[in-house]
Amino acid sequence: MPLIDPVTMSAPSGKTAAAGSGQKTASLDDEALCRAMPILPSPLAQAIRQVHPVILLSLSYLRFGALVRDPVPTLLNSLPVVAALQVAYAVICLPAAGSSAAVQPAKKLRPGEKRKTVADANTPNITSTVVVALGLSMFATFGFQIFFVLFGAPLLTHIPQTTLCSMHLSLLGLFPLFYTHGISTSDWLEILGARAPFDEAFGGLIGGCVGAWAGAVPIPLDWDREWQKWPITILCGVYGGYVVGKLIGGTLAYGKKFGA
Amino acid sequence: MPSQRQQRPKDGPSEYQTIAAQYAKAKRLKEIEDANKKLLGAEADEKKKPGAAETQRAAFEARRKRGYERRFGWTFGFWVWMTCIHVVGIVLFTGGFLLTRLVLDEKSECSVPPIEPLAAWEGQGSMDGGCWHPKTFDKAVVVLIDALRYDFTVPVKNLTEAEIYHNAFPFLYETAVQSPENAVLLPFIADPPTSTLQRLKGLTTGTLPTLNDLGSSFGGTAIDEDNLLMQLNSLGKRIVHLGDDTWTSLFPGYFEANISKPYDSFNVWDLHTVDNGVLEHIFPLMQKENQTQWDVLIGHFLGVDHAGHRYGPNHAAMTAKLQQMNSFVQDLVKTIDDDTVLIVMGDHGMDSKGDHGGESDDEVEAALWMYSKRPVFGRTKPEYVTPPATAKERPVNQIDLVPTLALLLGLPIPFNNLGRPIEEAFAGINGTAWDNLAAVSRLASAGTRRYQASYFAARGIEQTAKPGSPEELWETATEYAAKNINVKGRELVYGAYTAYQEETLRICKDLWARFDVPKMALGIAVMALGVLVLLVYVSRDEDDDFAVMDDAELDFAEKSLELQDAGGQTDLPSYQTLSQSLVKAAAVGSTIGAGLGYGYVSYMAEEQDWTMAAAITALTSSLAVTISLFGLGKSLTNLLPNTIWGWLGVIFTLSQSIGFASNSYTIWEDSISLFFLSTFGFVSMIAALRLPARTDRILGIYHSVVFILLGRLASFSKLCREEQMPYCTSTYYASANSSTSAPWQLALPFIVFAGIPSIIKGYLLSSRSYEGLAPFWIDWVFRGALGLAATYWTLDAAGNGQWLADYVSETTLKTIQVAIAQGVLALAFVAGTTAFVWAPPCIKVFTRAGSGGRTAQVTILGYGNANGARYLLLVVNFAAACMLLSKPMGSGALALMVWQVLSLVDMLDLNNLSTESIGPIILALLGEFYYFKTGHQAVLSSIQWDSAFIPLFTLRYPWSPLVVMFNTFAGQILACVAVPLLALWKTSPKRKGGLETVTRCLGLFVAYYAVESLATMVWAGHLRRHLMLFRVFNPRFMMAAAVLLVVDLVGILVALAGVRANALAVSEVFGWAD
Repeated sequence: MPLIDPVTMSAPSGKTAAAGSGQKTASLDDEALCRAMPILPSPLAQAIRQVHPVILLSLSYLRFGALVRDPVPTLLNSLPVVAALQVAYAVICLPAAGSSAAVQPAKKLRPGEKRKTVADANTPNITSTVVVALGLSMFATFGFQIFFVLFGAPLLTHIPQTTLCSMHLSLLGLFPLFYTHGISTSDWLEILGARAPFDEAFGGLIGGCVGAWAGAVPIPLDWDREWQKWPITILCGVYGGYVVGKLIGGTLAYGKKFGA
Repeated sequence: MPSQRQQRPKDGPSEYQTIAAQYAKAKRLKEIEDANKKLLGAEADEKKKPGAAETQRAAFEARRKRGYERRFGWTFGFWVWMTCIHVVGIVLFTGGFLLTRLVLDEKSECSVPPIEPLAAWEGQGSMDGGCWHPKTFDKAVVVLIDALRYDFTVPVKNLTEAEIYHNAFPFLYETAVQSPENAVLLPFIADPPTSTLQRLKGLTTGTLPTLNDLGSSFGGTAIDEDNLLMQLNSLGKRIVHLGDDTWTSLFPGYFEANISKPYDSFNVWDLHTVDNGVLEHIFPLMQKENQTQWDVLIGHFLGVDHAGHRYGPNHAAMTAKLQQMNSFVQDLVKTIDDDTVLIVMGDHGMDSKGDHGGESDDEVEAALWMYSKRPVFGRTKPEYVTPPATAKERPVNQIDLVPTLALLLGLPIPFNNLGRPIEEAFAGINGTAWDNLAAVSRLASAGTRRYQASYFAARGIEQTAKPGSPEELWETATEYAAKNINVKGRELVYGAYTAYQEETLRICKDLWARFDVPKMALGIAVMALGVLVLLVYVSRDEDDDFAVMDDAELDFAEKSLELQDAGGQTDLPSYQTLSQSLVKAAAVGSTIGAGLGYGYVSYMAEEQDWTMAAAITALTSSLAVTISLFGLGKSLTNLLPNTIWGWLGVIFTLSQSIGFASNSYTIWEDSISLFFLSTFGFVSMIAALRLPARTDRILGIYHSVVFILLGRLASFSKLCREEQMPYCTSTYYASANSSTSAPWQLALPFIVFAGIPSIIKGYLLSSRSYEGLAPFWIDWVFRGALGLAATYWTLDAAGNGQWLADYVSETTLKTIQVAIAQGVLALAFVAGTTAFVWAPPCIKVFTRAGSGGRTAQVTILGYGNANGARYLLLVVNFAAACMLLSKPMGSGALALMVWQVLSLVDMLDLNNLSTESIGPIILALLGEFYYFKTGHQAVLSSIQWDSAFIPLFTLRYPWSPLVVMFNTFAGQILACVAVPLLALWKTSPKRKGGLETVTRCLGLFVAYYAVESLATMVWAGHLRRHLMLFRVFNPRFMMAAAVLLVVDLVGILVALAGVRANALAVSEVFGWAD
């Protein structure tokens, strides 16, 4: 796992932007490098950032009983809630794709001034970004679903379960990335090649995927527990992994890359 | 698939250009070397006289060749040593783990009952009245219907629920219901292992078989323990035997010579010869005038068992067989007289596919039917009159037949007996003969007690008298027997003795699960050291990466140096001398160890156990090798993974090994292998996205996707083990209850025939290597072999389904099939090996005038993959053989495996992973995965014995076991043969250290299996009291041990030898690289 880099260690949320830019200048040889996306500096964003994982985890904890009882309705009903949570988190905490905060590293800025630049320069329409990102995430669900099947999920049965599980993974792992990166091909090449620098969104994706992977571990055990059925363990892995990945990606590993 | 490949020449550094560049290097080298114009190898030699340079070059090549042969010899030696270490480790562990039971020589005697009988009778102590108990019958007819499962005999009233094998053999059930005094039908539980030989031992001696006997199942050794037949023989009774010849090997010389008719038992294809033989000879013997020739008549039918093995229970052949048995028993009953008892029984059941050997419920649940013309049998409760509906109710143990039959015939109970008399036979027709029951139960108990005392004395074990112990139960029973002398009280006595016997049996079962822990630990230690040596051997530090030495200029410089220094000793690179040093260290260590071991066993040890000497030898030589490895600068720290690939390899291997501690993970291993393979494919897809060149990226993603998709596709071929139910559906055979293929599955070999050669061709074309022998061999010979294999399986299905019954006789059909199968094997192994040894490299040389017109432009197609492409021919040969020997579904799976292996080597090449440890580990995982996909599970009953008869009519050594081995371990064997591809694929003839890279890959590959073997050993040893030991952990250990030895052997005899042949042929043309 990535070593602790003194620069990033000493760069908590407020100063992460600087670290991110340092990362960029260090490897400018490649023209359009994907950047780590900092959390917006507003106090609300900082607060939501802390609360968001807590809400997610408590939500999954509260719905666990229902999930075990009737997985499909529970997954379906919680989908809008999770979507709303993710949208709120993204809108409040993350720079939208195409916004100046997303395109160029934020400099030392006074809140008022920044808001202005964001508003009148190349400001994307937040609503349309959210809608597009949601649409893309839903579309990417099929990708996850295919991977679930390729890793051994049932092909012809349990289709609603697999689909809904992929939707949750997609909302958690991909939506923030679509929101911040849009459909920039070079960015996505880096993200899919796991070369992108860690930030909350990318860390969340990696965490979610690793969590889903590890979630398969308890399934074969002969404990005869109701929660061993498909796809409950996967979903727990996704949520747990997402939260852990997001936390690590936003703090310890921020700005670092795999294999660097 | 070809679309992407065709893009290649357009953009980026295409392979064609790479080849051209590589060629340019090679050409430059040649030019420097020979100063003037000169073409390659043999052509050139013919054209011009060898000049001085040429002579020098020849001498130089000869020297390098000698060097290669020497290195090959040492490497070979190292692997032979490694195999020996594995053998010693496995033998030691097995010796301590698989149970051993002391065989006592004592025999029961007619005049010496183990306890004084409660009442006296006329003729006591002699065969006329009954030795230990008044006899009921004079003669017995014992009919053994092999694999007669209990549910075959219980009619199913609701016809919609009935399987095809139900209601075919109702006679036993009906007689038991209609005249309970004359007939009894009971579930008859076998003690595993459920192989016929073990069962016969149990059925005649009354004792528990141990797994140590299992190994001799094919040989069959005479029983020297006290048993029913021995008692009969010594008391002058005449025994006639008809049918299965296992009896004659167990009881040589016991049977009446002229009228006994043994028949060969292992031809499972043949459903009728044995049965017809028994039928032909049994009825004449039953006639009045011939009754005097025998006292006990044994008839052993094999048809039901063979129908199970060949077709599975759910087949019309099984119904026909059971109906035949039904009418046979009906006829036989008519010939029985008043003083003869007739016993019809199964020695074991069969699982849902018709196989047996393990201890699943279906395999141990046989049926027992006893019949007497005179009313004899009774039930102690009215509801017992109806035979049990399932084998879970009121079952009797198979060993219970021994005291029952002995006492019914007035024989002494064999000394080792642990069974107790079957209640129905002694309860009297009213079911109230408690005094009789108490008497027989007391006798049998006393016999068991006497045996226990001898056994404990021989083993030096103290018996305890704790509450609940057999000794205490015995005391209670004796007390009851003394007090309760009325009939009612005798019921209590009977109960007390029964309790004693039940407890004794439980204890014995437990006791013989007795393990020799020090020996097991020694075995584990030897294995662990072996694994350590292997791991250090394959560890690699940065500077011995031979793959980078693929540089023509460097090579030339090196050659010149070597030439100048022709006389003196040059310092060989360390990688070339590694094996040599190791083998020398091993030799020194073994010599010391052998001396020590000899001394220890001869003078110090209490028992002369030579495995101990072997253990000491193995340990000292492993230690010597380890020390010398560390002395050569190898260290364990190099093993720590430093890339994601290294971590993946470690995670896959270790998590699998840890998972073997859990029965669940062992049971679901097939799904877990798929999960790991997909993970690897996924990660390499991500890695491909990181490649700089766009074409490489696309190609990398393409191969990863193919790899994952093929794995998932193969995963649809499943054979479920019992423990996976109900979460698993078998697809390997036509249905869950059969062992024949569904008609649609017959299409698979034809699809393979049409597709696989073209796919292999595609992969070869990508490196322009579809040259030399490859087009002919792959497109014609390999395809031809696959076509023949497909024909074979079609004819097989035709034979099973009687499609051609009106046109061709079964014998003719079988003859054609055997001829086809032998033809395919001859093509693959005989012609294949010859062709592989003699084939030129898969290259094509073009000469055309250069642009300047002065120098000729030479183009060598396939130069960049000269090593790999040629070696692939060997893999193809083995693939053809394995596909023939697997069932249609299996050949489809193996075809996918070949394809996956090819995409794997391309992926490794693209991602530059050919020196990483992940390649061999993924290949090993593929081998395991396809073990499961070719219709196997880690249980004994999944061995497809019938495959022995694919190329043969009868059992022939050593071919039959070899064929079964190729069927069983097709996945691992194919993977092992493919190991050198990992090192050689897309390497040019100038690649240095080819042999060393191959052994390193082989080392990693074998290390994976060795770690698994070690892990299953450790867990089986640790969990030796686990409920699932014999169902899950022990079979998995046996499989892992067998696989390890198989890959060791195949690695040495095929992979290494193949690499040598390959190097000789390639170097003949291009010169030796090092």
